[in-house]
Amino acid sequence: MLTQTGRRVRTAVTAGVAGLLLAGTFFGQDDAFPFGPFRMYATRDAPNGSVVSTRVEAVDASGRVITVPDSATGMRRAEIEGQVSSFRHQADRLGALSRAHSRLRPNEPAYILVRVVERRYALRDGRPAGTGVEQVVAQWQR
Amino acid sequence: MAAVTAAPPGWLFDPVPYRRIVMLRRVAYLFVPVDMLLTTPWVWSHAHEPGELYRPLLIDRVLHLPTPGAWVTVLGVTLIVASLAAAAGRLPRVLGVAVAALYLEWMVVAFSYGKVDHDRVGFLVLLAVLPTVPRRDDEAAGWAVRMTTLAVVATYFLSAVAKLRFGGLDWVDGATLTRAVIRRGTGLSKHLLDHGWVLHAFQYVLVTVELLVSPLLLVRWRDPRRTWLLVGGFYLFHLMTFLAISIVFLPHCVALLALLPLERMSVQRLAQREPVPA
Repeated sequence: MLTQTGRRVRTAVTAGVAGLLLAGTFFGQDDAFPFGPFRMYATRDAPNGSVVSTRVEAVDASGRVITVPDSATGMRRAEIEGQVSSFRHQADRLGALSRAHSRLRPNEPAYILVRVVERRYALRDGRPAGTGVEQVVAQWQR
Repeated sequence: MAAVTAAPPGWLFDPVPYRRIVMLRRVAYLFVPVDMLLTTPWVWSHAHEPGELYRPLLIDRVLHLPTPGAWVTVLGVTLIVASLAAAAGRLPRVLGVAVAALYLEWMVVAFSYGKVDHDRVGFLVLLAVLPTVPRRDDEAAGWAVRMTTLAVVATYFLSAVAKLRFGGLDWVDGATLTRAVIRRGTGLSKHLLDHGWVLHAFQYVLVTVELLVSPLLLVRWRDPRRTWLLVGGFYLFHLMTFLAISIVFLPHCVALLALLPLERMSVQRLAQREPVPA
Protein backbone atom coordinates (compact mmCIF):
# COMPACT_ATOMS: atom_id res chain seq x y z
CA MET A 1 0.00 0.00 0.00
CA LEU A 2 1.19 3.47 -0.82
CA THR A 3 1.14 6.19 1.83
CA GLN A 4 -0.77 9.42 1.29
CA THR A 5 2.52 11.17 0.58
CA GLY A 6 3.63 8.45 -1.79
CA ARG A 7 0.43 8.79 -3.73
CA ARG A 8 0.57 12.55 -3.72
CA VAL A 9 4.13 12.66 -5.03
CA ARG A 10 3.34 10.15 -7.77
CA THR A 11 0.24 12.07 -8.85
CA ALA A 12 2.29 15.27 -9.07
CA VAL A 13 5.04 13.50 -11.07
CA THR A 14 2.43 12.12 -13.47
CA ALA A 15 0.94 15.57 -14.00
CA GLY A 16 4.38 17.12 -14.43
CA VAL A 17 5.57 14.62 -17.02
CA ALA A 18 2.26 14.81 -18.92
CA GLY A 19 2.42 18.63 -18.87
CA LEU A 20 6.00 18.69 -20.16
CA LEU A 21 5.21 16.20 -22.95
CA LEU A 22 2.17 18.22 -24.01
CA ALA A 23 4.12 21.50 -23.90
CA GLY A 24 6.90 19.90 -25.96
CA THR A 25 4.42 18.55 -28.49
CA PHE A 26 2.69 21.89 -29.05
CA PHE A 27 5.52 24.40 -28.54
CA GLY A 28 8.85 22.54 -28.35
CA GLN A 29 11.48 21.44 -30.84
CA ASP A 30 13.90 18.49 -30.84
CA ASP A 31 16.16 20.63 -28.66
CA ALA A 32 13.79 19.94 -25.72
CA PHE A 33 14.65 16.20 -25.58
CA PRO A 34 13.35 14.16 -23.77
CA PHE A 35 10.22 16.34 -23.81
CA GLY A 36 10.35 17.48 -27.43
CA PRO A 37 7.65 16.73 -29.99
CA PHE A 38 7.42 13.17 -31.38
CA ARG A 39 8.12 14.44 -34.85
CA MET A 40 9.32 11.32 -36.67
CA TYR A 41 8.04 11.68 -40.24
CA ALA A 42 5.83 14.58 -39.15
CA THR A 43 6.76 16.92 -42.00
CA ARG A 44 4.74 16.73 -45.19
CA ASP A 45 6.30 16.01 -48.57
CA ALA A 46 4.36 17.43 -51.52
CA PRO A 47 3.27 14.64 -53.92
CA ASN A 48 4.65 16.74 -56.80
CA GLY A 49 7.65 18.07 -54.92
CA SER A 50 11.02 16.44 -54.46
CA VAL A 51 12.80 14.15 -52.02
CA VAL A 52 16.44 14.57 -51.04
CA SER A 53 18.76 11.74 -50.11
CA THR A 54 22.11 12.81 -48.65
CA ARG A 55 25.47 11.08 -48.54
CA VAL A 56 29.01 11.99 -47.61
CA GLU A 57 31.83 11.31 -50.06
CA ALA A 58 35.53 11.51 -49.39
CA VAL A 59 38.78 11.26 -51.29
CA ASP A 60 41.49 9.64 -49.23
CA ALA A 61 45.25 10.16 -49.31
CA SER A 62 45.63 7.31 -51.80
CA GLY A 63 43.26 9.07 -54.22
CA ARG A 64 40.34 6.70 -53.74
CA VAL A 65 36.83 8.17 -53.86
CA ILE A 66 34.72 6.65 -51.08
CA THR A 67 31.09 6.85 -50.05
CA VAL A 68 31.62 7.41 -46.34
CA PRO A 69 29.65 4.99 -44.11
CA ASP A 70 28.28 6.33 -40.81
CA SER A 71 30.72 4.15 -38.88
CA ALA A 72 33.79 5.77 -40.51
CA THR A 73 33.16 9.16 -38.91
CA GLY A 74 30.72 8.26 -36.13
CA MET A 75 28.21 10.70 -37.63
CA ARG A 76 24.93 9.22 -38.83
CA ARG A 77 23.40 10.34 -42.11
CA ALA A 78 20.57 12.03 -40.22
CA GLU A 79 23.13 13.92 -38.12
CA ILE A 80 24.88 15.14 -41.27
CA GLU A 81 21.48 16.24 -42.60
CA GLY A 82 20.73 17.94 -39.30
CA GLN A 83 23.86 20.04 -39.71
CA VAL A 84 23.83 20.40 -43.50
CA SER A 85 22.85 24.06 -43.52
CA SER A 86 25.86 24.94 -41.37
CA PHE A 87 28.12 22.86 -43.65
CA ARG A 88 26.78 24.87 -46.59
CA HIS A 89 27.67 28.14 -44.91
CA GLN A 90 30.96 26.99 -43.37
CA ALA A 91 32.32 24.19 -45.53
CA ASP A 92 35.47 24.21 -43.34
CA ARG A 93 33.43 22.42 -40.70
CA LEU A 94 33.53 19.32 -42.91
CA GLY A 95 37.21 19.07 -41.95
CA ALA A 96 35.94 17.82 -38.59
CA LEU A 97 34.65 14.68 -40.34
CA SER A 98 38.15 14.02 -41.67
CA ARG A 99 39.57 14.42 -38.16
CA ALA A 100 36.87 12.16 -36.69
CA HIS A 101 37.73 9.51 -39.30
CA SER A 102 41.47 9.72 -38.48
CA ARG A 103 40.70 9.28 -34.77
CA LEU A 104 38.28 6.38 -35.30
CA ARG A 105 40.30 4.58 -37.99
CA PRO A 106 43.92 5.63 -37.60
CA ASN A 107 45.13 2.77 -39.81
CA GLU A 108 43.19 3.94 -42.88
CA PRO A 109 44.49 6.64 -45.27
CA ALA A 110 43.24 10.04 -44.12
CA TYR A 111 40.47 11.88 -45.95
CA ILE A 112 41.94 14.85 -47.85
CA LEU A 113 38.63 15.91 -49.33
CA VAL A 114 35.13 15.59 -47.87
CA ARG A 115 31.92 16.60 -49.60
CA VAL A 116 28.20 16.37 -48.94
CA VAL A 117 26.22 15.19 -51.96
CA GLU A 118 22.47 15.50 -52.27
CA ARG A 119 20.48 13.40 -54.71
CA ARG A 120 17.17 15.02 -55.45
CA TYR A 121 14.33 12.87 -56.76
CA ALA A 122 11.39 14.63 -58.39
CA LEU A 123 7.99 13.23 -57.42
CA ARG A 124 4.98 13.06 -59.68
CA ASP A 125 1.71 12.12 -58.00
CA GLY A 126 3.61 10.72 -55.06
CA ARG A 127 5.85 8.52 -57.19
CA PRO A 128 9.52 9.09 -57.98
CA ALA A 129 10.02 10.26 -61.57
CA GLY A 130 13.48 9.41 -62.87
CA THR A 131 16.67 8.49 -61.08
CA GLY A 132 17.36 11.84 -59.47
CA VAL A 133 19.83 14.69 -59.91
CA GLU A 134 22.98 15.00 -57.81
CA GLN A 135 24.53 18.14 -56.44
CA VAL A 136 27.54 18.78 -54.21
CA VAL A 137 26.25 21.13 -51.51
CA ALA A 138 29.41 21.55 -49.44
CA GLN A 139 33.05 20.60 -49.93
CA TRP A 140 36.21 20.82 -47.85
CA GLN A 141 39.72 20.11 -49.07
CA ARG A 142 42.86 19.87 -46.98
CA MET B 1 -4.29 17.79 -4.63
CA ALA B 2 -6.21 16.68 -1.53
CA ALA B 3 -9.23 15.95 -3.71
CA VAL B 4 -7.11 13.73 -5.89
CA THR B 5 -5.47 11.80 -3.10
CA ALA B 6 -8.71 11.40 -1.17
CA ALA B 7 -10.27 9.75 -4.20
CA PRO B 8 -10.18 5.95 -4.53
CA PRO B 9 -6.98 4.61 -6.11
CA GLY B 10 -8.49 4.71 -9.58
CA TRP B 11 -6.69 3.96 -12.78
CA LEU B 12 -3.33 5.46 -11.81
CA PHE B 13 -2.89 3.30 -8.71
CA ASP B 14 -4.81 0.18 -9.68
CA PRO B 15 -2.66 -2.64 -8.26
CA VAL B 16 -0.49 -4.72 -10.56
CA PRO B 17 1.29 -7.84 -9.27
CA TYR B 18 4.79 -6.91 -8.07
CA ARG B 19 6.16 -9.83 -10.05
CA ARG B 20 5.58 -7.89 -13.24
CA ILE B 21 8.09 -5.31 -12.00
CA VAL B 22 10.56 -8.09 -11.21
CA MET B 23 10.23 -9.35 -14.79
CA LEU B 24 10.38 -5.85 -16.28
CA ARG B 25 13.51 -5.08 -14.28
CA ARG B 26 15.28 -8.03 -15.81
CA VAL B 27 14.20 -7.33 -19.36
CA ALA B 28 14.81 -3.56 -19.21
CA TYR B 29 18.19 -3.75 -17.49
CA LEU B 30 19.37 -6.54 -19.79
CA PHE B 31 18.20 -4.53 -22.78
CA VAL B 32 20.39 -1.54 -21.84
CA PRO B 33 23.69 -3.25 -22.81
CA VAL B 34 21.99 -4.80 -25.87
CA ASP B 35 20.93 -1.34 -26.99
CA MET B 36 24.38 0.13 -26.32
CA LEU B 37 26.38 -2.63 -27.99
CA LEU B 38 24.13 -3.98 -30.74
CA THR B 39 21.29 -1.69 -31.79
CA THR B 40 22.82 1.79 -31.31
CA PRO B 41 26.58 1.21 -31.08
CA TRP B 42 27.28 4.52 -32.85
CA VAL B 43 26.89 6.44 -29.58
CA TRP B 44 30.36 5.25 -28.48
CA SER B 45 31.97 6.95 -31.46
CA HIS B 46 30.72 10.34 -30.26
CA ALA B 47 33.63 10.14 -27.79
CA HIS B 48 35.91 10.81 -30.78
CA GLU B 49 33.98 13.59 -32.51
CA PRO B 50 35.69 16.97 -32.74
CA GLY B 51 33.95 19.49 -30.49
CA GLU B 52 32.70 21.66 -33.36
CA LEU B 53 30.25 18.93 -34.43
CA TYR B 54 28.63 19.02 -30.96
CA ARG B 55 25.16 20.59 -30.97
CA PRO B 56 24.19 20.78 -27.27
CA LEU B 57 20.53 20.21 -26.42
CA LEU B 58 18.56 22.37 -23.99
CA ILE B 59 19.25 19.86 -21.20
CA ASP B 60 23.01 20.06 -21.95
CA ARG B 61 22.92 23.83 -21.67
CA VAL B 62 20.72 24.02 -18.58
CA LEU B 63 22.70 21.40 -16.64
CA HIS B 64 26.07 22.53 -18.09
CA LEU B 65 26.81 18.97 -19.20
CA PRO B 66 30.34 18.58 -20.54
CA THR B 67 31.13 18.26 -24.26
CA PRO B 68 31.47 14.54 -25.10
CA GLY B 69 35.03 13.28 -25.07
CA ALA B 70 36.99 10.34 -23.68
CA TRP B 71 34.72 10.31 -20.61
CA VAL B 72 31.90 8.92 -22.79
CA THR B 73 33.69 5.55 -22.80
CA VAL B 74 33.85 5.59 -18.98
CA LEU B 75 30.14 6.49 -18.89
CA GLY B 76 29.32 3.61 -21.25
CA VAL B 77 31.28 1.00 -19.30
CA THR B 78 29.83 2.20 -15.96
CA LEU B 79 26.32 2.04 -17.39
CA ILE B 80 26.79 -1.51 -18.65
CA VAL B 81 28.18 -2.71 -15.29
CA ALA B 82 25.39 -0.95 -13.36
CA SER B 83 22.64 -2.33 -15.59
CA LEU B 84 23.97 -5.90 -15.40
CA ALA B 85 24.10 -5.67 -11.60
CA ALA B 86 20.58 -4.20 -11.58
CA ALA B 87 19.36 -7.01 -13.87
CA ALA B 88 20.67 -9.47 -11.29
CA GLY B 89 18.26 -7.84 -8.82
CA ARG B 90 20.87 -6.13 -6.67
CA LEU B 91 20.09 -2.82 -4.89
CA PRO B 92 16.97 -2.12 -6.95
CA ARG B 93 16.58 1.45 -5.69
CA VAL B 94 20.19 2.68 -5.86
CA LEU B 95 21.19 0.88 -9.04
CA GLY B 96 17.82 1.63 -10.65
CA VAL B 97 18.28 5.38 -10.11
CA ALA B 98 21.88 5.14 -11.36
CA VAL B 99 20.90 3.28 -14.54
CA ALA B 100 18.04 5.70 -15.26
CA ALA B 101 20.28 8.76 -14.85
CA LEU B 102 23.26 7.33 -16.73
CA TYR B 103 21.09 6.06 -19.60
CA LEU B 104 19.47 9.49 -19.92
CA GLU B 105 22.94 11.04 -20.15
CA TRP B 106 23.92 8.36 -22.70
CA MET B 107 20.94 9.41 -24.80
CA VAL B 108 21.85 13.09 -24.43
CA VAL B 109 25.34 12.25 -25.76
CA ALA B 110 23.66 10.32 -28.58
CA PHE B 111 21.36 13.12 -29.67
CA SER B 112 23.64 16.15 -29.31
CA TYR B 113 25.01 15.96 -32.86
CA GLY B 114 22.12 17.20 -34.97
CA LYS B 115 19.57 14.36 -34.79
CA VAL B 116 17.17 13.35 -32.04
CA ASP B 117 15.41 9.99 -32.21
CA HIS B 118 11.83 9.77 -31.00
CA ASP B 119 11.56 6.19 -29.78
CA ARG B 120 13.06 6.62 -26.31
CA VAL B 121 10.49 8.26 -24.06
CA GLY B 122 8.62 5.07 -23.12
CA PHE B 123 11.86 3.30 -22.20
CA LEU B 124 13.25 6.32 -20.33
CA VAL B 125 10.05 6.49 -18.29
CA LEU B 126 10.21 2.74 -17.60
CA LEU B 127 13.79 3.10 -16.32
CA ALA B 128 12.78 6.10 -14.22
CA VAL B 129 9.85 4.35 -12.51
CA LEU B 130 11.41 0.92 -11.88
CA PRO B 131 13.42 2.09 -8.83
CA THR B 132 10.21 3.46 -7.27
CA VAL B 133 9.12 -0.16 -6.63
CA PRO B 134 12.09 -1.65 -4.74
CA ARG B 135 9.95 -4.13 -2.79
CA ARG B 136 6.54 -5.76 -2.93
CA ASP B 137 3.91 -3.07 -3.25
CA ASP B 138 1.23 -3.79 -5.80
CA GLU B 139 -0.05 -0.22 -5.80
CA ALA B 140 3.39 1.24 -6.42
CA ALA B 141 3.82 -1.40 -9.14
CA GLY B 142 0.49 -0.30 -10.59
CA TRP B 143 1.63 3.31 -10.81
CA ALA B 144 4.92 2.29 -12.45
CA VAL B 145 3.05 0.28 -15.08
CA ARG B 146 0.52 3.11 -15.68
CA MET B 147 3.27 5.70 -16.11
CA THR B 148 4.99 3.49 -18.68
CA THR B 149 1.66 2.90 -20.40
CA LEU B 150 1.03 6.66 -20.55
CA ALA B 151 4.46 7.23 -22.09
CA VAL B 152 3.91 4.46 -24.65
CA VAL B 153 0.51 5.84 -25.64
CA ALA B 154 1.90 9.40 -25.73
CA THR B 155 4.55 8.24 -28.20
CA TYR B 156 1.82 7.15 -30.62
CA PHE B 157 -0.86 9.71 -29.90
CA LEU B 158 1.36 12.78 -29.67
CA SER B 159 3.24 11.77 -32.83
CA ALA B 160 -0.09 12.13 -34.67
CA VAL B 161 -0.50 15.55 -33.04
CA ALA B 162 3.04 16.45 -34.19
CA LYS B 163 2.09 15.43 -37.75
CA LEU B 164 -0.79 17.88 -37.62
CA ARG B 165 1.47 20.57 -36.14
CA PHE B 166 4.40 20.20 -38.56
CA GLY B 167 2.72 18.67 -41.62
CA GLY B 168 -0.71 20.26 -41.37
CA LEU B 169 -4.13 18.73 -41.80
CA ASP B 170 -3.20 17.48 -45.27
CA TRP B 171 -0.23 15.46 -43.98
CA VAL B 172 -2.25 12.37 -44.85
CA ASP B 173 -2.37 13.44 -48.50
CA GLY B 174 1.36 14.17 -48.74
CA ALA B 175 4.16 11.89 -49.86
CA THR B 176 5.97 11.43 -46.56
CA LEU B 177 6.02 7.62 -46.71
CA THR B 178 7.24 7.79 -50.31
CA ARG B 179 10.16 9.85 -49.03
CA ALA B 180 10.77 7.31 -46.26
CA VAL B 181 10.89 4.43 -48.76
CA ILE B 182 13.07 6.33 -51.27
CA ARG B 183 15.56 7.12 -48.52
CA ARG B 184 15.48 3.99 -46.37
CA GLY B 185 13.43 1.49 -48.32
CA THR B 186 14.17 -2.24 -48.28
CA GLY B 187 13.92 -4.72 -51.15
CA LEU B 188 10.46 -5.49 -49.83
CA SER B 189 9.12 -1.94 -49.77
CA LYS B 190 10.77 -0.46 -52.88
CA HIS B 191 8.08 -2.19 -54.99
CA LEU B 192 5.50 -0.03 -53.24
CA LEU B 193 6.93 3.04 -54.99
CA ASP B 194 5.21 1.78 -58.16
CA HIS B 195 1.91 1.64 -56.28
CA GLY B 196 1.84 5.06 -54.65
CA TRP B 197 -1.76 4.63 -53.51
CA VAL B 198 -0.72 1.93 -51.01
CA LEU B 199 1.68 4.33 -49.27
CA HIS B 200 -0.92 7.09 -49.50
CA ALA B 201 -3.59 4.88 -47.92
CA PHE B 202 -1.19 3.74 -45.23
CA GLN B 203 -0.76 7.35 -44.12
CA TYR B 204 -4.48 7.40 -43.30
CA VAL B 205 -4.15 4.09 -41.46
CA LEU B 206 -1.15 5.39 -39.52
CA VAL B 207 -2.83 8.55 -38.25
CA THR B 208 -6.04 6.67 -37.45
CA VAL B 209 -4.17 4.06 -35.42
CA GLU B 210 -2.12 6.68 -33.59
CA LEU B 211 -5.10 8.88 -32.76
CA LEU B 212 -7.89 6.39 -32.20
CA VAL B 213 -6.45 2.95 -31.48
CA SER B 214 -3.45 3.78 -29.26
CA PRO B 215 -5.63 5.29 -26.46
CA LEU B 216 -7.33 1.87 -26.17
CA LEU B 217 -4.06 0.67 -24.60
CA LEU B 218 -5.02 2.75 -21.56
CA VAL B 219 -8.15 0.67 -20.95
CA ARG B 220 -8.01 -2.13 -18.38
CA TRP B 221 -10.03 -4.71 -20.28
CA ARG B 222 -12.00 -7.33 -18.39
CA ASP B 223 -11.01 -9.77 -21.10
CA PRO B 224 -7.19 -9.83 -21.09
CA ARG B 225 -7.21 -11.20 -24.63
CA ARG B 226 -8.04 -7.67 -25.82
CA THR B 227 -4.85 -6.32 -24.31
CA TRP B 228 -2.89 -9.10 -25.97
CA LEU B 229 -4.59 -8.34 -29.27
CA LEU B 230 -3.87 -4.61 -29.06
CA VAL B 231 -0.27 -4.96 -27.91
CA GLY B 232 0.29 -7.73 -30.47
CA GLY B 233 -1.12 -5.44 -33.15
CA PHE B 234 1.36 -2.71 -32.25
CA TYR B 235 4.26 -5.19 -32.27
CA LEU B 236 3.12 -6.23 -35.76
CA PHE B 237 3.08 -2.57 -36.78
CA HIS B 238 6.69 -2.14 -35.58
CA LEU B 239 7.72 -5.31 -37.40
CA MET B 240 6.17 -3.99 -40.63
CA THR B 241 7.96 -0.65 -40.18
CA PHE B 242 11.23 -2.51 -39.75
CA LEU B 243 10.66 -4.61 -42.86
CA ALA B 244 9.68 -1.52 -44.90
CA ILE B 245 12.17 1.16 -43.84
CA SER B 246 14.57 -0.70 -41.51
CA ILE B 247 13.73 1.46 -38.52
CA VAL B 248 12.98 -0.43 -35.34
CA PHE B 249 11.64 1.27 -32.24
CA LEU B 250 13.30 -1.31 -30.03
CA PRO B 251 13.44 0.59 -26.70
CA HIS B 252 9.80 1.51 -27.19
CA CYS B 253 8.97 -2.16 -27.85
CA VAL B 254 10.60 -3.07 -24.51
CA ALA B 255 8.46 -0.46 -22.73
CA LEU B 256 5.38 -1.89 -24.47
CA LEU B 257 6.01 -5.16 -22.61
CA ALA B 258 4.90 -3.42 -19.40
CA LEU B 259 1.30 -3.71 -20.60
CA LEU B 260 1.42 -7.51 -20.77
CA PRO B 261 0.86 -9.80 -17.75
CA LEU B 262 4.52 -10.82 -17.57
CA GLU B 263 3.92 -11.98 -13.99
CA ARG B 264 2.32 -15.13 -15.36
CA MET B 265 5.52 -16.20 -17.04
CA SER B 266 7.61 -18.75 -15.17
CA VAL B 267 6.07 -17.77 -11.87
CA GLN B 268 7.29 -20.93 -10.16
CA ARG B 269 10.88 -20.34 -11.10
CA LEU B 270 10.67 -16.75 -9.92
CA ALA B 271 9.07 -17.77 -6.67
CA GLN B 272 12.00 -20.08 -5.97
CA ARG B 273 14.65 -17.54 -6.86
CA GLU B 274 13.19 -14.28 -5.67
CA PRO B 275 11.66 -14.50 -2.23
CA VAL B 276 9.89 -11.21 -1.76
CA PRO B 277 9.71 -9.70 1.71
CA ALA B 278 6.19 -9.54 3.06
